[in-house]
Amino acid sequence: MDVPVQQVIRPTTVAEALAVLAGRPDSRPIAGGTDLMVQLRDGRKRVSCVVDLGGLGLAGIRQIDGGVEIGASTRMDSIAADDGVRRHFPALAAAAGTVGAWPIQCRATLGGNLANASPAADTAPALLVAEALLTVVSAAGTRRLSVVDFFLGPGRSALAPGELLVSVFLPLVQIPPDCRLVERFVKTGPRLEQVISVVSLAGRAAVRTDGALESVRLALGSVAPTPVRAQRAETVVTGRRPDPVARREAVQALQHDIAPIDDVRAPARYRRIAAAVLLDRFLQEAARV
Amino acid sequence: MSERVVVNLKLNGARRTFEVAPGRRLLDLLREDAGLTGTKEGCSAGECGACVVLLDGAPVTSCLVLAASADGHEVVTVEGLQQSGSLHPFQEALVTHGGVQCGFCTPGLAVTGAAALARSPGDAEERARLLAGNLCRCTGYVKVLEALERASSEEADHDTRRERAHFEEAPGHDPLGGHHERPDARAKVSGSTRYVADLAVPGMLHAAVAVAPVASACVVGLSLATARAIDGVEAVITAADLPGKNLVGVIFEDQPLLALERVRMVGERLALVAARSPESAWAAAHLVHADLEPLPAVHDPIQALAPDAPRVHDAGNLIRTFRVVRGHTACARASVVVEAEYRVGGQEHAYLEPQGCLAIPEGRQHITIVASCQCPFYVQQAVARVLGLSLAAVRVEQAPTGGGFGGKEDYPSELAACAAVLAFATDRPVRFVLPRELDMQVSSKRHAMVIRHRWGADRNGHLRFAEVETVLDAGAYIGISTVVAERANVSSIGPYHVPAVRVTTRVAYTNNLFGGAFRGFGAPQVTWAAEATMDRLARACALDPLEFRRRNLLDDRRRRTCTGQSVRRPVLARECLDRAAALAGWDEFHARTRHQDGPAREGMGIGLVLYGCNLHHGGQHLDRSSAVVILQSDGSVVVRVGLTEMGQGNLAACQTIAAQALGVDPAQVQVWQPDTTTVADSGPTVASRGAHASGMAILNAVERLRKRIDPLAAELLGCDERDVLLAGGFASARGDPDRRVPIARLAGEMASRRIEGISTGWYRSTERRFDAATGVGDPYEFYAIACHVAQVTVDAELGLVRVVEVSAAHDVGRVIHRDVLEGQIQGGVVQGIGWGTSEELKLDRGRLANPSFTDYIIPTSADVPRIRIAVVESEGPGGPFGAKGIGEPSLIPTAAAVRNAVVDALGIEIDRLPITPPAIVAALSDRHPFAWVAEEEKAHGRTEEPAAGR
Repeated sequence: MDVPVQQVIRPTTVAEALAVLAGRPDSRPIAGGTDLMVQLRDGRKRVSCVVDLGGLGLAGIRQIDGGVEIGASTRMDSIAADDGVRRHFPALAAAAGTVGAWPIQCRATLGGNLANASPAADTAPALLVAEALLTVVSAAGTRRLSVVDFFLGPGRSALAPGELLVSVFLPLVQIPPDCRLVERFVKTGPRLEQVISVVSLAGRAAVRTDGALESVRLALGSVAPTPVRAQRAETVVTGRRPDPVARREAVQALQHDIAPIDDVRAPARYRRIAAAVLLDRFLQEAARV
Repeated sequence: MSERVVVNLKLNGARRTFEVAPGRRLLDLLREDAGLTGTKEGCSAGECGACVVLLDGAPVTSCLVLAASADGHEVVTVEGLQQSGSLHPFQEALVTHGGVQCGFCTPGLAVTGAAALARSPGDAEERARLLAGNLCRCTGYVKVLEALERASSEEADHDTRRERAHFEEAPGHDPLGGHHERPDARAKVSGSTRYVADLAVPGMLHAAVAVAPVASACVVGLSLATARAIDGVEAVITAADLPGKNLVGVIFEDQPLLALERVRMVGERLALVAARSPESAWAAAHLVHADLEPLPAVHDPIQALAPDAPRVHDAGNLIRTFRVVRGHTACARASVVVEAEYRVGGQEHAYLEPQGCLAIPEGRQHITIVASCQCPFYVQQAVARVLGLSLAAVRVEQAPTGGGFGGKEDYPSELAACAAVLAFATDRPVRFVLPRELDMQVSSKRHAMVIRHRWGADRNGHLRFAEVETVLDAGAYIGISTVVAERANVSSIGPYHVPAVRVTTRVAYTNNLFGGAFRGFGAPQVTWAAEATMDRLARACALDPLEFRRRNLLDDRRRRTCTGQSVRRPVLARECLDRAAALAGWDEFHARTRHQDGPAREGMGIGLVLYGCNLHHGGQHLDRSSAVVILQSDGSVVVRVGLTEMGQGNLAACQTIAAQALGVDPAQVQVWQPDTTTVADSGPTVASRGAHASGMAILNAVERLRKRIDPLAAELLGCDERDVLLAGGFASARGDPDRRVPIARLAGEMASRRIEGISTGWYRSTERRFDAATGVGDPYEFYAIACHVAQVTVDAELGLVRVVEVSAAHDVGRVIHRDVLEGQIQGGVVQGIGWGTSEELKLDRGRLANPSFTDYIIPTSADVPRIRIAVVESEGPGGPFGAKGIGEPSLIPTAAAVRNAVVDALGIEIDRLPITPPAIVAALSDRHPFAWVAEEEKAHGRTEEPAAGR
């Protein structure tokens, strides 16, 4: 069955796309469509006009000064397979490889995963620990914002009407002297593949030669109305060796970073415990590597 | 009216231009506008993969791609995978390695697999990951993954040809027990098999249904005006408009086709719509406004039996009670007694093809129904009743059916009745295909059961008595719940010798979704409980679970079942247990130190089933079947039977049986899908009776036909009529194999001499004696036994169960077709694992809260364990050539074995199914290393964070 949209506009330039988005409050961009098409079909979103971003040339990964820039229309499959992303941002590469199943990864885009603003967005925790910068354009101009400020609530992002997310910049990690870097993404759900995460966690730690954590960034998905940084837990373990006492305190602090709910996928209690497990394991691994 | 969009595609190599609506999905463009119906629609949400096509070489779910977005791009569908008339190597491997069953997921799978091969997939794990977006409910993925592996190896071509040449190379080789190509595989893998949704006839309308959103209410009124005003709507009808009886119950007359005054469950039908497009039909159905006054509801079967519970029907909520009373359990002396209460959840069938049918009326005199179904004769009866026609005026053709598993036993009758009344109301053909969410919301489910046990054993570990009290949640209508309860009742104690038995099985109405048939038919739930109790007792007796079972299994001396029936020899329980345990390496596993890699815990568990073959005594009036065999003048053979193919392999089984009986190459035998006008009512295709019942009727038909073949053959061979042998494509004289004549020549001779080359065949099971009041007697003609041993690894912190290996030993009597048999076992095992570990019906006041493949979690190709199979053949009772059904025994013991393995791994009892990660963490309770975090959270509240949530 057709989805209930009345018009599809296929601009070939960003300016053209912005003009449509600015002039039509009933319009909405579509990229891979793997979330939006489902929402249009079941009536959760009602949009009369969709603006197809496929012709804007927004896909691509390039190394630029100080980091890697990923176009908003870059597909998950490309991100997961990209050598540069795998080397510098292994959590993002891993996360992109767990979005839906392979046929979804061949269609879903990074920009779409963010703009959909699901608390379970797989790439979000990886971008949060990378402190990625998002480039957003509109008829009024260009602005950059941190991914930390992007998610406002389930399905709600900082994108204003008429704005378009065009690229994501991941700054290269400055590894402190005498440190090695550990970066991981893990998610858990009811089966191994093709799951919406029940809890996901991205962690990045710079580990000193004495085993203490010089710096730590932690972010989780599906445990709050938005993907969240776990700053209380970060604070607790920073500068310490992740021994059992430190790990326990981090897990304790984590409980105040997150606010999971009961839903059809899992009860809040399970999410709290699973989040604790994933954090504990990440810290153990950081200590071990 | 919205504008049209021009879409230019390079489609399967050709440049094509389409003008479509802006909201057109690529899937609809392909199926409706380009006529390429090989691409299937299974879920419409990008979760099942049946609609996968290549977009610029990458596999994508075409249900989530706007047609407009594909403009200027290249699309390859399953129809485009073939090159110069040859199947793609992966398609070819699927055909030759038994990787095709119902075929509905196959085209999408073929496309994804072809894409995986193009990027040279790495190891087995990577291949399984790449296919994990293509759900398959039949095969258990084992043969699919084998096919992908073969296709990716250089040997593929060679292997494939060798396997296909199997029959020709050895002309004397019997088809029986072979693994020749399934007759339906090639069409299915190429996308040319036409399922109901692929059929269109001129003037056809599309049906939709308006259903109740609440579980219990009084219908005050229905407003239809806005629905009728939708452009394209041809009819909106309610209970008042039905020409015949407003009834769809299979056995009991408790269920209306359309609600009159009462709503008793979510999904109760209120009104039907027929419109010129599915979009209009469903838009109108959503606009049917029902004025519903809420009534009290009951959602727990135990509560439903309380005297003050809200009544679902006026007569009360207790539908029926079944019993087995044998010996005196109260007097039985036992030194060890265990008690337990099990809550066993239901299951959604999750066949990949949604329910669908096509009704074609002819002048309101008669009607043809083409339906995705298991039981065409049930559909025939249901349609005749609602239309007020004779049975002869209703013709039902079974369409190729994309999976059933019991879910297409009774529900297709309801769907067909809806389509039929709309077809008569409009005098137009009407196609009715359910969208996935509605299919999951309204169709029948495996019954949830509450099972209480009190079992005792003596000091030596011998069972002394068993008391079982079971309550089935029938839901709001009986359907076939009483028949399910009948099997559950007599299957309650497994294949064990128990001197005193008291079983009570009660069937209760609730305002939940209605329970129905599902592979195993009540036996999986009671088996799960029985095997859990066996492990409890073994522990209480300080015996190894294997040893404890050995002491209690039925054998050739102790043959009395739960109902006191003597199992006919040989009783192969011990054989199955020992073979499965040996395959699993039970002794080695228990001799070595278990790996304790951090939180990973290993465990091994056993499940056994004593499966009563074919229909229970209560349904023996249906245990009959009909066949027609026609020997064509060129020596090929037409076979018609009344039992259906839904993926399980009935066509292949019938083909093999007919080929074996007539001594011809299976490729010469064409078995056609059932049609109620070609054979007599053959009962339902259920209870693993497909190959049995249709095979026995075929053998009878062949026997009758040979009364005409053999005299002619004897004349041509110059031998005695009694010495004619048919084998390997020749008729020959016994003892003189050189004196032979090709069967094709014999057939030609028969035709030219005008000898009747058609024969009917009939089968009915033997009469049994069974006392329904005491439950003592012979409910089944004979039994099959199976044992599964599961090895698991449990992440004791996240609660994730990984089934590593299942070893399955099956008493099958005789193998008819090896690939079909293995495919049934592999598919049953994986479906059993799903039921046991991840598939949960989450009911919220009677509404299914997870009616999608997003949240109803069935196994993917990445969840498949190693499956080892031991086939135990014997010269015992059985059906055609001694074969016993395999469809259900393949599933029944799996979840029980997995449960016992998980319990073994974790050292805690688990009394609820499914064993999901949250269920394990909940069961671990304070023993979970992080149990304190949740407690801490409760103690501190959320004072530091604002209350957040959706």
